[in-house]
Amino acid sequence: MPGLPVRAGYHPHMSGTVGLVLVSHSPDLAAGLRELLRQVAGDAVAVTVAGGDDDGGLGTSYELIRDAIAEAGSGEGVVVLPDLGSSVLTAKALLADHPDPRVRLVDAPFVEGAVAAAVIAATGADLDTVSVAAEEAWHARKL
Amino acid sequence: MPESSETTVVLPAHLHARPAGQVVVTAAKFTSTVEIVYGAKTANARGVLALLALGATAGETVTVRATGDDAPQAVSAVATALQTTE
Repeated sequence: MPGLPVRAGYHPHMSGTVGLVLVSHSPDLAAGLRELLRQVAGDAVAVTVAGGDDDGGLGTSYELIRDAIAEAGSGEGVVVLPDLGSSVLTAKALLADHPDPRVRLVDAPFVEGAVAAAVIAATGADLDTVSVAAEEAWHARKL
Repeated sequence: MPESSETTVVLPAHLHARPAGQVVVTAAKFTSTVEIVYGAKTANARGVLALLALGATAGETVTVRATGDDAPQAVSAVATALQTTE
């Protein structure tokens, strides 16, 4: 991963899987979801978070999203999952400023979409397949 | 000629998030289509959310069914994943 800031020990089995970026207003919500994804999908998938504003409060941060995308980046691509509202708008603005065909903002329910995407990513699926898995989560009934 | 294979598994634990994830990852190693059947519900083993929505609990019996060239191997591997508790 030349040129990308990879935090030591962050994704120990960094390999040919699509990465996920969780964008949330809440640092705790993003971190909690990442913890859940690790349990469901294992450590093979790089999941990074952009939670809260620049000061750690509730909100969104252009810079945190940008950094999280760089950290999650593998040659296979990155799926960006925002929770709602300004998370969506900020991620959208960032990707409009820095278009990259391997980085995709996906319209999906936050928890279900992330779980579906992470598990499919763990199978080694490509960016299209992971994106579709997240979007299909709209149709998953709980009961 | 694709073949079909199936077996039943008595779940040692609820089919909750982690084992459901394991089922998806295991099934993806095979070319066969794998389904888990619980009562009247059927879930494709590609979809973790569908597997979770089965609501299959510990002690219940599910059927693992596969269709494809490597169906017996797929059924065996997925059944093993379902029987593994961590």
